[in-house]
This record gives sequence, structure tokens and C-alpha cells, in this order.
Amino acid sequence: MEWVSEKVGQTVAIRVTGRMDAVTAPGFEQECGRWIDQGENDLMVDLSNLEYISSAGLRVILGTGKKLKNRGGSLAFGGMSPMVKEVFEISGFSAIFPIYDNLESALAAR
Amino acid sequence: MTPVPAPGKANGLAFRMALFILTSTTLIFGVAFGYNYVYSRDLMLKNVRENATHLTQALVRRIEGKLISVEQMPRYLARHLDNRNVTRHSLGVMIENMVAANRDIYGSTVAFEPYALDPEARYFAPYVYRNEIGGLVATHLGGDHYNYFLWDWYRLPRYLDRPVWSEPYFDEGGGNALMATYSHPFYDLSSGRPSFRGVVTADVSLEELKAAIGSVSLYQSGYTVLISRTGRFLAHRDPDRIMRDSIFSLAEALNLPALRRVGKDMIQGKEGFLRIDGLDGEGRVWLCFAPVPAIGWSVGVVIPEQALYADILALNHTVLLIGAAGFTLLLVVVVGISRSITRPLKSLVGATSEIAHGNLDISLPKIAVRDEVGQLSQSVDEMRLALKEYISHLTETTKARERIESELKIARSIQMNFLPKRFPPFPERREFDIFAVLEPAKQVGGDLYDFFFLDEDHLFFSIGDVSDKGVPAALFMAVTKTLMKGIAEQNRDPAEVLDRVNGELCHGNESSMFVTLFCAVLDLRSGRLCYSNAGHNPPLVLHRDGSQKWLALPPGLVLGGMEEAVYQSRELVMAPGDKLLLYTDGVTEAMNPEGAFYSEARLLAQAQEGVADSAESLVARVMASVRRFSAGAAQSDDITLLALSYKGTHASGGGGTSVI
Amino acid sequence: MLNRLISAGVLLLALLFGAGSGAFAADLLPLRFIPQWSPQSQFAGYYVALAKGYYEQHGLAVTILKGGPDAPASEALASGEADVATLFLSSGLQLRARGVPVVNVAQMVQRSALMLVAKKSKGILAPQDLEGKRVSLWDDFAVQPRAFFRRHGLYVDVIPQGYTLNLFLMDGVDAASAMYYNEYHTLLNAGLDPEELTTFHLADLGFNFPEDGIYCLAQTLAEYPEAMRGFVQASLEGWRDVFRHPEEALDIVMGHVRAANLPTNRVHQKWMLDQMAPLIFPPGDDTPPGFLEQDTYRTVAADLFEAEIINDTVPYRIFYDPRPSAR
Repeated sequence: MEWVSEKVGQTVAIRVTGRMDAVTAPGFEQECGRWIDQGENDLMVDLSNLEYISSAGLRVILGTGKKLKNRGGSLAFGGMSPMVKEVFEISGFSAIFPIYDNLESALAAR
Repeated sequence: MTPVPAPGKANGLAFRMALFILTSTTLIFGVAFGYNYVYSRDLMLKNVRENATHLTQALVRRIEGKLISVEQMPRYLARHLDNRNVTRHSLGVMIENMVAANRDIYGSTVAFEPYALDPEARYFAPYVYRNEIGGLVATHLGGDHYNYFLWDWYRLPRYLDRPVWSEPYFDEGGGNALMATYSHPFYDLSSGRPSFRGVVTADVSLEELKAAIGSVSLYQSGYTVLISRTGRFLAHRDPDRIMRDSIFSLAEALNLPALRRVGKDMIQGKEGFLRIDGLDGEGRVWLCFAPVPAIGWSVGVVIPEQALYADILALNHTVLLIGAAGFTLLLVVVVGISRSITRPLKSLVGATSEIAHGNLDISLPKIAVRDEVGQLSQSVDEMRLALKEYISHLTETTKARERIESELKIARSIQMNFLPKRFPPFPERREFDIFAVLEPAKQVGGDLYDFFFLDEDHLFFSIGDVSDKGVPAALFMAVTKTLMKGIAEQNRDPAEVLDRVNGELCHGNESSMFVTLFCAVLDLRSGRLCYSNAGHNPPLVLHRDGSQKWLALPPGLVLGGMEEAVYQSRELVMAPGDKLLLYTDGVTEAMNPEGAFYSEARLLAQAQEGVADSAESLVARVMASVRRFSAGAAQSDDITLLALSYKGTHASGGGGTSVI
Repeated sequence: MLNRLISAGVLLLALLFGAGSGAFAADLLPLRFIPQWSPQSQFAGYYVALAKGYYEQHGLAVTILKGGPDAPASEALASGEADVATLFLSSGLQLRARGVPVVNVAQMVQRSALMLVAKKSKGILAPQDLEGKRVSLWDDFAVQPRAFFRRHGLYVDVIPQGYTLNLFLMDGVDAASAMYYNEYHTLLNAGLDPEELTTFHLADLGFNFPEDGIYCLAQTLAEYPEAMRGFVQASLEGWRDVFRHPEEALDIVMGHVRAANLPTNRVHQKWMLDQMAPLIFPPGDDTPPGFLEQDTYRTVAADLFEAEIINDTVPYRIFYDPRPSAR
């Protein structure tokens, strides 16, 4: 799994590609943690190019989301592949995280 | 481990070093010694040859000097007598004067041919000699008992027509003195052709010469010999040989043809310097010889080789002693050095042998010298430490792996112990048929399933999947299951159950661990199914007519995610013959070696085929299909299947299922 | 040279040896014996017989006188200075012809060792090569060579031979007389190799004059026949002893040689000793030791007569008495 992160205004945008599973998820968690430690509260993750997400991936997302929520921040997703979207739907994550069609519209909504 | 055999004495480094060094040293010493010996011997020989040659020349001059001084007077008298008649009286005076004039002359005669001077006398030879007290005595030679015409002193000059020195002889009358006679012929020249008239002689004692020559010595045991024309010894250090032995009789007695050849060279007037082997009691000798031309004799200087090389031999003995001492010293030094090298090596060998046997705590010998052996020792020590570290590391990793494996074992046992595994669980109940299987992954995935009666007619069942692996997942699973059972027994609404379980799990869940869970309560009388879901995959509904569909699920977040999460219950009425197939994502996401997922599509296809199966057969069919698909590839997640087949209270057919 | 005049010393030596053999024992018959030359192995049998007591065993107190050029045995025998002497057969015949009544009581040496030697370097390889050459011959032993020359029709310049072969060695003569057992070996020990020499062995060439025989005056034999027989028998025993124990014999000979201060050596005497055996006991000859064949006697006597060496001969039986040597 690879990612590119940049700061757009008040929001940190992270574009993720590949597979997020038990092996790759901790790296992503660290990336998010790095931004949070720098005081960023607004993370926008683009999962359009994520091929697969396992429960370990979900767990990282949940943990990061909870961390941000506790600090009054937010974790949102701009764009999601259908498969990932299905996982989010089943697991109920789509009910607790804002999900946008794409990163641009998500950033614009801020 | 093969023990390294200890090197034998002969293979030991010290021994070989000593052997090689000492052998080469001995060789070098031997060559140097040999060269020195040969060279000094040659030098010595050259020197000896010069000395011996000088000595023989000096002796030759001395002998010739004496002989020539004696020859003068007879020659003069013979010239005087040539063609001249003398009276008996004047002849006697002349002879007497001659003897008186030369002290070397012992006696003298003038011997005439028969009737040459006196027609009456066949023998006429007046003779004058010195007596013991030095007085001169006159007499006559010749008679019936002394036919001087037959004696060499007369015959040799007569028939050789020249003055001749006789072979030396012992004169019994002269006190057994060694004598030689010089004879000079004289002639009657009155007619045209000289005719022999007689000889003038002078007898000379050779005793003085013999003593002088005999006393000459060279190189301690060297001595001088004088031989006559016929090879007879005239002077020799062994007086018994004088006049009795000749060099040829000695050669015959000792069976030395070489000596005979030397003798021939000597009497033929040659000079030489050569070695003779096998001389009586003398071993090897060197002989230097030179002729005395005036008389045909030969002077020889004999030097026993032993005497010749006495100094060299003494020197050689010293050199050999020094060599032996040096050799011994070298031996000690070499042995010392090689010991000093091999002692640490030996202890090193012992230490490495210990190491080879696994004793890594042995302390290596301290070697102060920073030479190769020291470096070797240091390297061995480093190797020992590295080995020790490696082994301890290996032990640790082995321990860690064992721990992990034991943890996994614990996790698996936790997981398995919490699951109902007895099938059929309720053999007395005809209304339904339930079967479940959980195939744990190597790393326990935290899947769970459960079923139990809430009362006589209501069956609670569930399936779930913890988001972590290993012991934490197993514990989380155990907690979830326990909570769920405890809560379900008090509250039959699945949504309520999930809500309360969620609340408990969220409490202090720092690690964001969560579990997806589907749970349902089936009323066995009516077939009414009340269910709720917390982020789990939708179960598959298989109708008796062969149609199938995914169970429509209410939204619901995974358990343990957020405390605020809300769950809803839904209902479905199952007709007898309908089946439910619950599964975890370990089934749909089972991977084949190429990395492809098993997928929902394959699950649907299998369910289609197993529409008439019992719950157990259905599970088995799907599991077999998954196994075929994965083709032995290791699975990262647990695979869990639960099938429930509803048969109705009296197995009577009912209407289709319907959502209330 | 003075020694040549003095013969008294010889008597002194003889007395010394005589004393050792118990010459003065009352029951032994004193007998003076003179060999015809200086002490050497040629007479080993007599020295050994004396030293080992064979003469004593035959009742004789023998005194051996010293022979040699200045003490001719024939003269000693004729003058009565010696009772018994050894002489060559030709010398015995001459002595008898001169009127000295000597009798041969044993012919000890059957074969002649007389020879002529010449240097090959002088071109002498065969008898013909002696033509016109200067040859030295012993006056006493010239008959055989002269007969040899006659047979080959050679003219040879003969000069008298002295007491040594030095003239020959110094090339003063081309050929010389020699005894195989003596002078021939002297030549070898003066540095001449056998290969350098041409030799003419007169016995092999048909001129065999038997040599050493034991002689006494007829009167002596008549008065002391047993003593003469005892002397001959003891001498033969002495000779047999010599060839049984040659080294012992050589020791005894060398004792006499040293006493006479003679310029000879053991090697030479050994050579001489080795040559004596076939002369005294010729192999393959059935003539009894000491026997003089009548034919031989006649031949030698005739040759001497013909050579005008003798002008008178006596009958074989008068010249030779076989009884002393008979067993």
C-alpha cells in the first residue's frame, strides 16, 4: 500500500492506493498519527484507489477516527471503490464517517 | 562431532621444525665443512709438495756434492795413467796421496788387466785404505780367492767404457760400513785404438750420508729414503731394509703393483709426487721423489697422510666440536622457539576442541605476543564470542517462537473451548438442524459462533469476527460471547443484545478492537426469525424451492467501535425447509495461490447445489469447495460457517417466508 | 773390499752355528759341511735339517760353513777344510777330473735352473737374435749355453760373468746367465718386468745338467759310510720338512742370511724356496730323490769332455755311490 499526503487548507488529504490489511495498516496508522501529532485535526482520506480493506484496516480507521473525535477533529473519506464502500456499508462505518464521492467535492464541502 | 586426533610426536610442529631446520643446517654445515676440508687439504698438499720437493732437491745436491768431490781424484789419476807407464813405487805413492788427500775416500786401488803392468802377475792392484785409527795401510788385491776381474768395481767400467759408481755394498772388513766404489777406467793409447788397461777406484763410506738422510724428517712421522739404481734401499728409517729390500721386493711383499710402478719411475730418473696406499703399517703415504743423476739413485720423501693432515684433522676436530656445540645450541633454540609457538597453539587446540564440544565459556589462553599465533588466538576468541552470541540469540528466538506458538495454542484453545462443538447439539429437537464449523487460521483470527436456547421454543444463534488476531482476539471473542449469552438470556431482542454488548465492549477499549456480529432469535413454533447485525456479512437465505437471497440487514456499526452506535432488529418468517447459511469473511476472502478471493459468487453457487442438503452437508460442501479453491494456500483468517435448517413443528409445509 | 781377503770370519760364524747344534756332544760325529754359495733358500733343506735336529738324529754334529765366491766349496772339500760339500754336477766332474777323488753321494737337484736372459728392448726375442751379441756367462756354467749356441750355429761375444747382473742391468751386455730361482728374480726386483725379458731355459732346450749334489772325498765315504748316509738321509728329511713348512724354513734361512749380513730379503728367499721343490722332487719323475741316472752322468761328462772342460772321466760307479740316498 502507498499513500501521498498533502495539506490543503486546514485539511490533510491522504491518497491511498493498494491493499490495506494486517501488514500494511500499521504504516497507514503511523502516517495518520504523524499528522495528528503535528496538531492536524482534519483528515481527508481518498480510498478511490484502495483495492481491498481487511478488518485490520477497518480497525486502524476506527482507532484514528476515535482519536480525532476525542480531539474535536474529524476523519472523512473522499472517494471509495465499490468494494471498499460495501465493506464500509456492512461494517456500519459508513454511518459514523462522512463519505464523499471524491476528494475534490469533499474538500469543497469543508 | 569427530574428535580431532592429537598429532603424534613425529607429526608435531616442533619436531618437524626441528627436523627441517637441523637437517638443512647439518647439510649446510656439512657442505661448508667438506669444502673447507677439501680446500685446506689441497692447500696443505700443495704446501707439502713444495716442501718435499725442496727437501729432495737439497738432498740430491748434498749427495751429488759428496760424490762429485770423490770423483775428482780417481779421474785425475786415470787421466794420468792413460798411455803412461808408471813404476810400482810411484803408483803406490799416488794412491796413498789420493787417499790421504780426501777424507771422504776410505780406500783406493789401481787395478790392472792381467799382465798389463807386470808380465809376471795376473793380478796387480795395489790398495791403500784407512784403518780404524786413521792410519793408511797398503796392500794388494787379487789372487786365487779374489778374482777382481769378476767384481763389479772392475767389470762395470771395463765393459761400459766409462767411469761407474758401483752398487753400494756392505764392507765386512770396514766395520760393516755401507760403501760404494767409484771406478774410472784408463786405457793404453799407444796403438791407434785405445785398449783398456785397468781402473782407478775410490771407496767411499756412505754411512755418513745414510745417517744424514735417515735423520731427515718432515711432518713428524715423515721420513726420507734413498734407493740405488736397482731400487735397493740405501737409506731408510728401518735399518733392516737397507741393502736387503728393494722398492720392488717391498712391492712384491706387500702385493702393491702401484709401488712397483713408482719404483720403475724412480730408477728411470723421473721426478714425482704421488700417493701410495697400503704401505706396511703406514697406511696412505705421499711420496715425493727426485733422481740423483750423477749415480742413478733416487731420493724420496715419504709423508704418511695421517701426519700430513694431522693439523687439518686437529682443526677438523675443533670445527666438528664447534659444529656439534652449535648444533646442540641450535637444537635447544629451535626446540625452544617451536615450543613457544606450539605451546599456545596446543592450548588453542585444546580450547577450540572444547569449543567444538560446545563449551563456549572456556577462556582462551592469553597470548601476549602479537604475532600470527596471537592473532589466531584472538580470532578464535572472537569466533567463540560470536558463536556464543549467535547461540544465545538462537535460544532467544527459539524461545520467542515457542512463546508465540504457545500463545497461539492458548488463543486457539480459548477460541475452541468457547465454541459449542457437539453436533447434533440438540438431538431431541426435530424442528431444526444446526451445524457449524470453525477452521482457525494459523494465527487465530478471532471468529466465533454460538447457539443456545433462550427457552423451550426460542433458539439464539450468532456468528462474528474479531478485528484482531491471536490471544487478544481470542479473549475479545470470549468476552463478546460471554457478554452476548449473558445479555441474551435477559433480553430477547437481538438489537438490544447488540446495543448492550457494544456498550460493554466500548468501555475502556483503547485498542479500537472490534467485532462484527450477526445474531438472531428463531421462534421454532412459528418460524419467525428476529435478527440484528453489527457490521457482519449478510447471511444467505436458502428457500426450499431453490431460490436464495442475501438476508437484508439493518445498518449497524461493528461492536466496540462507538458507544453511540445504534442497532435495529428485523424479522423474517422461515418456512419449513428454509435454510440460513452464516459465514465470516474468511470464507469469501479465502485466497487461492494466485491471490484471488473465493468470493460471494462461488458461495452462492455452492449453496445452490446444496439446496437439499442437511445443515451439516451444506457446511461440508462449502468447506470442501473452499479447500479445493485455496489448493493448500495458507489462509490468513479463520474460516467459519454456520448452517441452520428450519423444519417446522410438524414438518408441515407452510407459506413462504415473509418479513414482518 | 777388504772382506774378500778375510775368511776367518766365516769360521767364526761356523763355530757359532755349530755350538747351537751340540757339535761337541761326545756321542755325535762332528761333520763340516759347506754349501757352494752364500746362505740362501737354495740350501734351505740343510739349514732346516740342522735347526730341527735331523742331523743329530742321525748321530751327526754338523757344522755348516759359509760358502760363497771367496770360499769355493770345491776347494774347501779338496783341502779338507770341509768334510761334505754341495756342488753342481759339472763342478763335481771338473773336480774329479782335476784329480780330487770326490764322490757324489746324492744328486739332490735333478733339473737345471740355468737360463739366459735378454732384454726384449735389445731386439732379442729368439735364439737367432743372439747372433753377434755380447753375452756374459759364468765360467763354471758355460758348457750348456755354449752347446746351445753351437746347436743354433751362433757366433756370440762371450765375456765372463761376474757376481752380479748389474752389467746386464746397465746394458753392458745384451744377455746374461741366470738361475731361475735366484738371478732371474733379482732382475725382477731390480725393476725389470717379466714381459720385458726374453728367457732361454736351458733344461727345457735339451741341456739339462743336474745341479746341486752332495760330495765328499772317497776316503771319507770309505771311513764313514754310515755318517755319509746319515747326512744324506737327514738332508732329504730336511728338504721334505722345508716343503711341508715353507714359512718356518724361510724363518730359518733368513736367520742365516741375517747372520751373514747378506743384501737379500725374505721375498727373494721365498721365491727361491718356491722354485726349489720342482728341482729336488720333480713332479712326474720316478727317479728316487738323490739318485743320479747313469745316462745323465754320461751325457754331462761327454758334453764337458767335448767342450774341453775336462780331459778325464771316471766310471759312473766310481763317481756316484747310490747307497747313502737309498731308502
